[in-house]
Amino acid sequence: MLSQTIWWTSNVLEVCLLARGVSSRLIFRYPVFYTYLFLVLLQSPIRAVAYRWYSDTWYGPVYWTTEFMGLAMGSVVVFEIYRVALAAYPGTAKMARNVLLFVFLLALAKCGAALWGDPHLLDDTTPLQMERALRTVQAIAIVALITVFVSYSIPFGRNLRGVLLGYGLFIGERVICLTFVSAAGKDFWFYAYSASYLVALSLWLGHLWSYQAIPEAERAQLEREYQMIAKATQRRLQEVRGQLRKVVRS
Amino acid sequence: MIEFGSVIAGAVLLLLLMVATLRGWLASRSLEPGRAASEEGASEPCPAELVDRVFSRADWEFVRGLQARGIERLFQQERKKIALVWVGQTSALIRRVIGEHARAARQSKNLEFSTEIKIVAQFLVLMAVCGILSAAIQIAGPMPLGGLAHFAQRLSQRVSKLQETFQAGDLANAGETGSA
Repeated sequence: MLSQTIWWTSNVLEVCLLARGVSSRLIFRYPVFYTYLFLVLLQSPIRAVAYRWYSDTWYGPVYWTTEFMGLAMGSVVVFEIYRVALAAYPGTAKMARNVLLFVFLLALAKCGAALWGDPHLLDDTTPLQMERALRTVQAIAIVALITVFVSYSIPFGRNLRGVLLGYGLFIGERVICLTFVSAAGKDFWFYAYSASYLVALSLWLGHLWSYQAIPEAERAQLEREYQMIAKATQRRLQEVRGQLRKVVRS
Repeated sequence: MIEFGSVIAGAVLLLLLMVATLRGWLASRSLEPGRAASEEGASEPCPAELVDRVFSRADWEFVRGLQARGIERLFQQERKKIALVWVGQTSALIRRVIGEHARAARQSKNLEFSTEIKIVAQFLVLMAVCGILSAAIQIAGPMPLGGLAHFAQRLSQRVSKLQETFQAGDLANAGETGSA
């Protein structure tokens, strides 16, 4: 009964979000995000058909195929957040690219090391474990991205903030739920796993009801050479360091 | 191990989102290059002479020479307050410098990743020094701060004293239990 309620509520919210996206023309500003929503909405009838008529044979493969498609599309949503937020900030965009590259290289290295240690690891890994590993990488990438946004004081409009908060919350909750959920049976974590998307949908609906512009970047400011900026900052930090050293040695 | 890592990653993400929402870090910030609200206290730093005076032992030795406990206590309290204000101003100044740097660097097309990492490391070290200084002043006061070695020495003395007190307490308890 509870899972039915979550299922129907999610679908209704998704339809509402898509309808609002079309009427407020937000669909053209965040095309990847709305495509993701549409794909997730499409998952429901496909899974329902597989469950109703091909429960024994096709439901498992259909479920995991659609789940991993949603996961891949979600990664593109993270890329869209990065692209839109940092369009006016090439310096921060470069920093974010490097940080994300480091995160992905680290994940690849960890994966490589695990495969080196156990060549049969892929055969022994269940789809649930695979999803958890991939979602964890997504979570770390989002943490890195938010850290860069906060460090460089990147201004966010209401819409983009909603997309980031909703998706971040969904990934954070899902990573935790995937750790504790059992493959068989419906316990608390099973419902929490399903409800995590419902929370994200509610947040998105609140933030994406109508279009709100992202604050414009200050274009009037003349772009200074990065080396000059960095040298000036390092000089000022050295001055403070000198004062502190004097006090410590006094 | 993987499970533990996943829970940590999820929890960190949720915590970061919560803090970012509560503190308005992802809000539509004012883009004026002026000071951020948190940096308003970062006025110009105290003159070097004042700083030297606050942390100097000369005044402290003079007050001690007066042999008046009340004045000594008052002097220590006042100096401690001034020293803490100075540390607070210094850390606010560091935050302001890094904030201004971030605002200027975010639009630079030729930003260098390695230089940025060096600046962030420098910032973190300075903030850590401010934190340690602040803790040292809170515990030992500004006058005996003749280098962090003094602080470490006092801290270890305090720890050993505390240990002695605990041991004395344990012995007393044992004595009471034995006599009961």
